Amino acid sequence: MESMSSNPILLVKSLSKSFGGIKALDEVQFVLHRGEVHALMGENGAGKSTLMKILMGLENADSGEIIFAGEPWESRDVRDSLARGISMIHQELLVVPELSVAENIFLGRENTRWLPGWLDDQSIYLKTKKLLAELGVALDARAKMKYLSVAEIQMVEIAKAISHDAQVIIMDEPTSALSDKEVAALFRIIKDLKAEGVAIVYISHKMEEIAQIADTVTVLRDGKYVGTKPAAELDQNTLIKMMVGRTIDSLFPEASDQRGEVILSVKNGSTPGKFHNINFDLRAGEVLGLAGLMGAGRTEVARAIFGLDSLAEGEIFIKNKKTTIRSPEEAIRQGIGYVSEDRKGWGCIPGMSVQHTMTLSSLRDYTRGGFIDEKDERAAASRMTKDLRIKTAGLSQPVLQLSGGNQQKVLIGKTLLAEPEIIIFDEPTRGIDIGAKHEIYKLIRQLTAQGIAVLLISSELPEILGLCDRVVVLSQGRQTAVLSGEEISQETIMQHAIQR
Amino acid sequence: MKETFASTITQAKNTYQTRVHSLGVFGILLAFVVICAALALTTPRFLTVSNLTIILTQVSINALLAFGVTFVIITGGIDLSLGSMVAVTGVSAALFAHPDTYPLMVPLGIALAAGVAMGGFNGLVITKSKVPPFIVTLGTMTIGRGLALILSKGRPISNLSDAFNFMGGGQVFGIPFPIVILVVIFALCSILLRKTIWGRYMYAVGGNEQAARASGISVAKVKMLVYALSGALAALAGIVLTSRITTGQPNAGQGFELDAIAAAIIGGTSTSGGSGTMTGTLIGALLIGVISNGLDLLNVTSYYQEVVMGVIIIGAVVLDGLNRKG
Amino acid sequence: MKFFLPAFILVAALISCNPSNDNAKGDKPLIGVSMLSMQNEFIVSVSDEMEKKAEAAGAELIVVDAERSALKQIEQVESFIAQGVDAIIMNPCEVEASSPAVTKALAAGIPIINVNSATATKPTAFVGSDDVESGRIAMEYIAKRLDGKGNVIMIHGYMGQAAQIQREQGAREVLKKYPGLKLLAHQTGEWDRAKSMSLMENWIQSYGNKINAVFAQNDEMGMGAVKALEAAGMKSKVVVVSIDAIPDALQAVKKGTLDATVFQNAAQQGSQAIETTLKIVNKQPYKKEVLIPFQLVTMENVAEFKK
Repeated sequence: MESMSSNPILLVKSLSKSFGGIKALDEVQFVLHRGEVHALMGENGAGKSTLMKILMGLENADSGEIIFAGEPWESRDVRDSLARGISMIHQELLVVPELSVAENIFLGRENTRWLPGWLDDQSIYLKTKKLLAELGVALDARAKMKYLSVAEIQMVEIAKAISHDAQVIIMDEPTSALSDKEVAALFRIIKDLKAEGVAIVYISHKMEEIAQIADTVTVLRDGKYVGTKPAAELDQNTLIKMMVGRTIDSLFPEASDQRGEVILSVKNGSTPGKFHNINFDLRAGEVLGLAGLMGAGRTEVARAIFGLDSLAEGEIFIKNKKTTIRSPEEAIRQGIGYVSEDRKGWGCIPGMSVQHTMTLSSLRDYTRGGFIDEKDERAAASRMTKDLRIKTAGLSQPVLQLSGGNQQKVLIGKTLLAEPEIIIFDEPTRGIDIGAKHEIYKLIRQLTAQGIAVLLISSELPEILGLCDRVVVLSQGRQTAVLSGEEISQETIMQHAIQR
Repeated sequence: MKETFASTITQAKNTYQTRVHSLGVFGILLAFVVICAALALTTPRFLTVSNLTIILTQVSINALLAFGVTFVIITGGIDLSLGSMVAVTGVSAALFAHPDTYPLMVPLGIALAAGVAMGGFNGLVITKSKVPPFIVTLGTMTIGRGLALILSKGRPISNLSDAFNFMGGGQVFGIPFPIVILVVIFALCSILLRKTIWGRYMYAVGGNEQAARASGISVAKVKMLVYALSGALAALAGIVLTSRITTGQPNAGQGFELDAIAAAIIGGTSTSGGSGTMTGTLIGALLIGVISNGLDLLNVTSYYQEVVMGVIIIGAVVLDGLNRKG
Repeated sequence: MKFFLPAFILVAALISCNPSNDNAKGDKPLIGVSMLSMQNEFIVSVSDEMEKKAEAAGAELIVVDAERSALKQIEQVESFIAQGVDAIIMNPCEVEASSPAVTKALAAGIPIINVNSATATKPTAFVGSDDVESGRIAMEYIAKRLDGKGNVIMIHGYMGQAAQIQREQGAREVLKKYPGLKLLAHQTGEWDRAKSMSLMENWIQSYGNKINAVFAQNDEMGMGAVKALEAAGMKSKVVVVSIDAIPDALQAVKKGTLDATVFQNAAQQGSQAIETTLKIVNKQPYKKEVLIPFQLVTMENVAEFKK
């Protein structure tokens, strides 16, 4: 790496940081040049976020050296970082929903006139308009944040970073909630920024994106520096090997051909404004994909099957028997499980432990006369923790302290403990690292081998291609195709997904 | 990898269970002990068996209400109708508690039924209408006050049977009966919260209602349960109060809800829901009782009492907060 | 009166909200009445008596409950003025804060009669009792029972209310007269039985046998003190006196648990208020101040007061 052009904007030398005896960063190095997109990769817990937090001044390093624009940089805090031109687009977008786009961009730096504290709105709206125009984003500066889509909010965050005259922009999983079209727009903006000499630190788990956008890749593992390579020299397997420390032979395990009876049928399912006339059968032991663009109605269909929303019209059959499912409680009783796309919103309960979270859907199985048999409960949770290889500090650790992948596994464990025959996975690998992803794929295969039927919703086409036996494609709430076998390809899915 | 993992395990102790169940209560327990010690040093009459008995008796009513509201707050709700429910249930009990009319079970049963009905009404409106609990129970607070006045025709109901008056004034082996009720109910509430499926569901509903629903928990049933429980415990408090003052007072219990909520919050129950313990609430109620008793013993003027009480409440919660962080 | 009272309050409140009432001017004199609190037994008795008297005299009453809020009371009086009532009877919530209501009524040329307690602004007429006197009577009784020597505890009502201030004033006048009487402690029981019971329990802890007498500023609190003393087995040694002579207290005096109460004549206050008001409305001569005397109730004369 030292051979690359001189004068890096940011140079990190043997940086270390411990949290209560755990080394989060161990002698890590990192070199960032102007005008490059530098991917920072590693599994969750590898130390990426700690490194970024230190760069943003949110944490202080125990030892090591940071040189910014040729000068040693000490005693940093967030204001200092922003002033020097380092901005971060967080994975969890931090905005004030009731304020407008412009007010959010200039939050904390409001212009005043006439009197101290008297807001000069005019000037921030003009500035915001100009910023958005430069980015090529068609957004109203006066629109309230709460009416914006995730992608639009992200654009606002980028605009905010640029408004700080950022020389370094850190993007933490920026595409996790974006549609393909929006990703394309983001990449265009990244390229423009790059051309202007801005350095981008790009954190992502998605291999395709790295290949597409990154110039350089640095990999961390368990808080240690593994290596830095030009992106062009890396293939997927090498990269995975660097991150995981071992080879993963094939990301998607082989499927067995066992198909059973039709276990779930949806007939003419409609809910006005969400989806219309949905028809499909799901067989025991198969993975049925539900593909489509964002907003195509995939999650809405899943929620209706699971009883989270009511189905306005149409019928649901379970094992050829017509049923009405009015609540998740009934769905679980009928053998349906649902792993939500939104772990924080619909899965984890703040403060609740791994054990208690995991047994929440099946608690009645470990009770005698309403009293919980602590031993039974612990046994079930600990078996599931072992089966799913969940990494915890113990069953009493709060779920929210776990990494994304392990949180997801706990939530899957919760679903499995209720012994479902049908499991709906909604974006099961969103925001989790490659190792955990692979394990979840293997798990889905194991479940189908046991005769469980899986309905898989995913925005990542490779996932759909690699796992599904058949695919239902939705477009704007309508079912446009049911593909199977050879028909399943990236092109046919996309073609049907954008079909009007 | 393995080393990191092992060292994480060594930290396992410092987690949820221990933090919620002992450390969380620790801050407030410390404040309680400090205040008791200070009172014991300033007035020799504080640390006597008879004074401690009196404190426990006085605390019992607030503690009963606080247990009920702890359930409610854990599910992320609030119950402002406690004081009014005390009045309604107390008056209904008194109406049927005149000597030589009905057996003791009748006034007790009627009061409990009235409490459960009012609490159930709260729960029903909250779950069916999605109106915030604050508003609904604010409404029932006023309705309840009116009902108490209607039932009693605006006048206190006295001349109650000895059996009924035993509930608040009697003794078992020298222990005032309200203390017996307090201890039994505390044990039952703790078990319900810690050992049963319903207690677990309360934490889940308060921690993340959506996640609880998606886990197959009937959120409406849990909410109905906590508000009905709150009503039942208010009825018990109403019975003890009515029996203690040997009169059914339509204007009894005004402002009781605030003391009960204060006890729960001092005891570490989070107003945003999802956490709290009965032990904490009990200590919270004891703290309030001890302060009020101690200030009376020290003959502090009522004007200052109010200020001191407020300062101590804030202080206890701040101390608890610091303890949790550190 | 069983369910009639609350229903009546409701209807009256609704009427009072509606200034364009058609019946505002009928043949019968129309009198607006704003009472301190319909949750207080004594006030309810006054109000009941007024209704009875008004019906007999052929006058129409609109009774509303100020719920102890002076602001509400002023609004109620304003609405009476707008309805064009012939006279207003007010049972003031507060000395100062309820005064604007008097000023407004007088400015509108409508006579206003204060009943039971006073306002800073002088109304057309006042019917009630002098609360200072009640405090005096109660403390005099204690002095007599203790032979002018001993330790006394005083339980206040809500601090700052007219009744509390005046009853305390009367009691303190007597205490000054007897240097042998020592005020051991005093604290507010907020007019509440349970609250004053707890207070008494705590005092028993700190003073024990030193307590010779208790003066509670109303019967509710007096009853609470009695309960606490009984539980501690001390009632026989401590004299308890309170004010108002509510049925409960009379019962206790008869049984001998409460030593004495001071009878404030609710019936007289109510009927005299209506009488004076009708005189004013009919332009007959009237007394500007009608004082109804208090009477001490002890075991000897309790039979006269118990109905």
